[in-house]
Amino acid sequence: MSALTATVAPLRRPFVPLVRADLLKLRRNRAMVATAAAMTIGATIVPYGVLALLHAFNPTHHGPAGGVANLGHGAGVLALFGSVAAVIVGAAAGAADLGNGVFRELVVTGRSRVALFASRIPGGLAFLAPLVAVAFTIMAAATVGLAGSLAAPTVWLLAKTGLWLVLELAFYFVIALGLASVIGSRAQTIGILLAWRLAVTPILVSIHALGVGRDAVPGAALERIAPQTLGEYVRQSGAVPMSMMAAVATVLLWTAFAVGLGAWRTATRDA
Amino acid sequence: MTTSLFVVETAGLTKRFGDRTVVRDVELQVPRGSAFGYLGPNGAGKTTLIRMLLGLTGATAGSMRLLGLPVPDRRAEALSRVGAIVEEPRFHAFLSGRENLAIVAAARGPEAATRIDGALDRVGLTRRADDRVRTYSLGMRQRLGIARCLLAEPELLILDEPMNGLDPAGIEEFRFLIRSLVAEGRTVMLSSHLLDEVEKTCDAVAIVDRGRIVVQGTIAELTRNGPPTLVIGSADNARAGMLLQVHKAVGDVAAEDGILRVRLHERDDRAVHEAVADINRRLVEAGVPVYRLEPEHASLEQRFLEITSRLEEAA
Repeated sequence: MSALTATVAPLRRPFVPLVRADLLKLRRNRAMVATAAAMTIGATIVPYGVLALLHAFNPTHHGPAGGVANLGHGAGVLALFGSVAAVIVGAAAGAADLGNGVFRELVVTGRSRVALFASRIPGGLAFLAPLVAVAFTIMAAATVGLAGSLAAPTVWLLAKTGLWLVLELAFYFVIALGLASVIGSRAQTIGILLAWRLAVTPILVSIHALGVGRDAVPGAALERIAPQTLGEYVRQSGAVPMSMMAAVATVLLWTAFAVGLGAWRTATRDA
Repeated sequence: MTTSLFVVETAGLTKRFGDRTVVRDVELQVPRGSAFGYLGPNGAGKTTLIRMLLGLTGATAGSMRLLGLPVPDRRAEALSRVGAIVEEPRFHAFLSGRENLAIVAAARGPEAATRIDGALDRVGLTRRADDRVRTYSLGMRQRLGIARCLLAEPELLILDEPMNGLDPAGIEEFRFLIRSLVAEGRTVMLSSHLLDEVEKTCDAVAIVDRGRIVVQGTIAELTRNGPPTLVIGSADNARAGMLLQVHKAVGDVAAEDGILRVRLHERDDRAVHEAVADINRRLVEAGVPVYRLEPEHASLEQRFLEITSRLEEAA
């Protein structure tokens, strides 16, 4: 052991290695990698592949697989399946340390609990980003390359669609991360958020009596932020008339709420 | 930070869960550079005390110092030189041993990452370091837990029931590891209910019962409670007994099962040694062949049971 009587130097604990460690935990979970890849890359390849085959075998009944309309369809499918993947990844990032009993091993290092929580955000996003990038690249290539007689999407529309997909998936990732950090259970987090995303959101959006209260439903806000050209294709529930400002505020407030709650619970829970 | 005489100091430390007091007014002092046993029956509050020291749960009342630093106020600084295993070491089973260490090293700081190979080597896991932890035996996980502690280059290791579930070879290996860590100048505080192992491993202990420390001191002090006793075996116990009853150092003599149990007046080590030598000389000079002469020590287990049963009677 190096000089026990030496004065201890001030602690130097950079944040980036923590992010890398969180990325490692996600990357090495093979089942989750396969699931997330299937729900992003797979969910893009399959629809465009099917559309391309249908068009190839029966071009009179089935139009080209590309074009703006199919960009909308593809973006809708990727938003739906990708958000499920984001929930799964967020739940794993938020609850894996707790579930495996490793959280206390990290706490006894003396590292700030808030830092332990915060590093999961870039770690998880770094895990999701390549999957979304690959899926979106395939989508962009298919909608442009297979447009045939249809109008191909412009670069600007593709960029807006890509950014919107990133926002959609990042949002559900952060919500899942925050919730998993609060309740400490991966399975419960996934169950709650899938029910919210797939069942509760469409119901709330369809209740017109809620009035402006529907602006607070994040699914409706995310659909409002989607590029208008994609229109109905990316909408899984009825349109809620709200301003862009209100939609952005809704997304930001939910994100801040989830992050704040997750950080608070991580900092205060018995480890 | 590193000059305090005691690596762990608590004053009036108390933890309550609702109406139930799990740790009660604990005054603990763990001397630097020793192997210190924190002994108690199951449910005595050993793990809760350790969890408070490490900031895993808050204290209801009282104060604590780790390596001379007040915690939780300077917890990060104190824990940067503390390694700990609470209950059993836990890992991400789908990661390798090396990857699990890398995750903790990331939390500890850049120097910790440079110690991974050395720590794995120290606990004999280099060959299996890249295997997934789910393939490790319990003993290997315990050793990996120690390797994880060593990433901190710790002055203090706090090990909660580290020998639970280990086979005899594993226990012996662990004992050797703990003693080697102490030999390097580190302090090891371990909680356990395996009294025999603690007696073999530790220099000092505290015995805790129902959340309260009932006695603490060195193993020698605790096992030598009351006047020292000699066990004597000779070819003529009756004559030996008569001779010893008039010896000035002897309090009383009792014959039982073919031996004599001789209680001495002296308590000082040097005086006891002289009395033993004199007793031996007198018996031999009197023509009594002596084939056995040894001091009798109460084992830690005897003392522990004595103390805890006394408390049960008082309750």
